[in-house]
Amino acid sequence: MNSINQYSSDFMPHIWPIGGGKGGTGKSFLTSNIGILLARQGFKTLLIDADLGTPNLHTIIGLSNPEISLSDFLSRKVATLEETVLEMPTPNLFLISGARNKLDISNLAHEQKMKMLRAISRLDYDYILLDLGAGTSFNTIDFFTLSDSGIFVCIPEPTSIENIYRLIRSVYIRKIRQVLRIDRFRDLAEKAEAQSQDAIIQHPEYLLNMLKHIDPEQGSKIERILKAFQFKLVLNQVRRQDSPKIGALICKIVEKHLGMRIQFIGNVSFDERVHEAVCRKESFVEKYSYSQATLDLKVVIKGMTGMTGEQAVSLSVQSFT
Amino acid sequence: MKTVEDLNFYELLEVASDASPFEVHQAYKEMYQLYHDDSLASYSFFSREEREGILAKLDEAYSTLMDERSRSRYDQILIESGILQKEMQYQRDRKKLSPMSDAKRPRGNTALRIRDRFKPIVSSSPAIQDILTHDVLSGEDLKTIRDELGISLEEIAEIVKVRMVYLEAIENDQFEKTPSKIFLKGFLRAYAQCIGLDADIVANRYLKRIPN
Repeated sequence: MNSINQYSSDFMPHIWPIGGGKGGTGKSFLTSNIGILLARQGFKTLLIDADLGTPNLHTIIGLSNPEISLSDFLSRKVATLEETVLEMPTPNLFLISGARNKLDISNLAHEQKMKMLRAISRLDYDYILLDLGAGTSFNTIDFFTLSDSGIFVCIPEPTSIENIYRLIRSVYIRKIRQVLRIDRFRDLAEKAEAQSQDAIIQHPEYLLNMLKHIDPEQGSKIERILKAFQFKLVLNQVRRQDSPKIGALICKIVEKHLGMRIQFIGNVSFDERVHEAVCRKESFVEKYSYSQATLDLKVVIKGMTGMTGEQAVSLSVQSFT
Repeated sequence: MKTVEDLNFYELLEVASDASPFEVHQAYKEMYQLYHDDSLASYSFFSREEREGILAKLDEAYSTLMDERSRSRYDQILIESGILQKEMQYQRDRKKLSPMSDAKRPRGNTALRIRDRFKPIVSSSPAIQDILTHDVLSGEDLKTIRDELGISLEEIAEIVKVRMVYLEAIENDQFEKTPSKIFLKGFLRAYAQCIGLDADIVANRYLKRIPN
């Protein structure tokens, strides 16, 4: 069995990879501030800077120079990933800072990467938020194999939307490959590949139809597995003049034409003070607790955790008292 | 999952085979918003040829289903190929006499289907769910929900048979223009039901702002 599937077969909804396809969409801002809100609600929350090579999550949450990072685990300076966990001033909030040296990443052997993914999946936290790097490289996409959940972040601009579709498609293809590597689907995958070698890569949307045509029972099982993914979409930096419906429309396009279900969980309003908070290395949600962007982030958390309206109101009240 | 080429016109517009022209028009508006040339949401997902193909099929679906004769001919093709059952076909004049007990519900299937169409949007929209956590609802809140659902006030007035002047007064919080509280409650309930909201919750939370 493939090494990824040894641990990914267990359903672990508490791990949330957060990706955006493009730089500047606010992934690190969302990861850190959602993490702070969850921690203040009493959830033991770990943030992992998975932007391999160019990490900066530590700076956004006000830590200038982390004394230990993912590099120390990858270079075997420490034996376990737990040893790289840093406790943050906010109660219940923890951080694993990203690998600082690009060489750590360029030399990252496949087995090392698997070791890192396995170690993350064994960590014991209520929520683990992975701040992923920009782009659709294997190093980014592989983090989505850790979990059946994931958050895509984009901003209402054509370039960002173009890249989010690219990321969503890449993740979907990666998840299909992951499912097809499960032993009981291997025969079916080989038959599909024999019929059309580029079906998985070029036309993931048609692949399911092909699988269901070859073997209706197994094909339907694969469809059910793919539909169980809890992917979410957040639209960040939404200005007054932007249509509030874009996020829901993007999800509709993906479901209709890719067969992948993504739930839109909210618009986060553009706020000029985000820049100021990042420059001052201050937590935005703590400093501007009643801003529209903070209220929007609470709605996003509701969508992630499936909280009821009453719980969300309670979150609003408790977080800052 | 069917490809766009494989969808029949009803599936393409995501409407029932007995949908009224009003529902077809609404659905076309929504779909056009999704696929038109300047749609930010579908930007870059399709090639120009794919987009043109989808829009051409949408236009064909709309013009066919909005014209009574062409719709009837199209339905006949679907019936002959076993895709559509005759009793599921839209018939403009097919209206049964309602029992007296139903006299208060003259809105028929269209209203119910529109409500059913909006309900999943209501429950999955973070913005609407956020508004529904408010203890007190304002006209502005109702307008925001309606805008989110993409239905005009004129369309609601047509469905619920309430005069526009009252619906505008409700959304603008012009209490001096609204009717007495008991009628206002009825209008609020009809408005809420029409867009898939809980009638009692909306009416009670809105009326909290009006002194006895």
